[in-house]
Amino acid sequence: MEERLYDLIFICRPDTPEAEGDKILAALEHSAVEKGGKVEKVEKWGARRLAYRVHKHREGQYFFMQLRGTQGEMIKELERRLKVADPVIKYLTIRLDEEIKRQKKLVHRRERRAARRPRKSAPPAAPPAGENIAAN
Amino acid sequence: MANESPRPQSGPPQREGGGPPRRGKRQYFRKKKVCRFCTEKVDYIDYKKADVLQSFVQERGKILPRRMTGTCSRHQRWLTVAIKRARNIALLPFASEL
Repeated sequence: MEERLYDLIFICRPDTPEAEGDKILAALEHSAVEKGGKVEKVEKWGARRLAYRVHKHREGQYFFMQLRGTQGEMIKELERRLKVADPVIKYLTIRLDEEIKRQKKLVHRRERRAARRPRKSAPPAAPPAGENIAAN
Repeated sequence: MANESPRPQSGPPQREGGGPPRRGKRQYFRKKKVCRFCTEKVDYIDYKKADVLQSFVQERGKILPRRMTGTCSRHQRWLTVAIKRARNIALLPFASEL
């Protein structure tokens, strides 16, 4: 099976100590690797204001991970862990690889068009201005 | 942004709305809006950049229609997805309370 790319974000209570957050991150990384995944990126965004109240909290600590994996099992396990973890108030996993594939296709197409353009569209754009000036 | 744009929304039928009444055929010229993402050649609208998404949302959290922002259909499609994702992790409100 091809490799998939995921974004995983989770929000902890604002009053969780740093050690606790790190512990959850480490646990997630561990179980991701166990399921044959790879951790690409880990970011801690720190405390941010939530756009709406979640479990009566107006603030939360954001954690962000980017993962690569071939098994859907991995995500299942990670989400189970997040559900069980006490300080986590919200989490979201997003699969990104298909979008990136689509995006690459678009970029590729644009580049091809750009490579073709100089011959086709540049000359017609320039002459009209020249003609007008000449006519006047 | 949301405060500036509502005028074009009231389309051709009721032209009297904006500005003083004039006799010409055209009451006002609508400036041609260009898709902001196209000019910047964005090929992926990141749901994590809440500050960018914020400008395509009304004060109460509604997604602004294409006719107000001038976004092209492709980017509007990506934009809605990004906004909805951002809402799900509390980066943007579903509906902000007053």
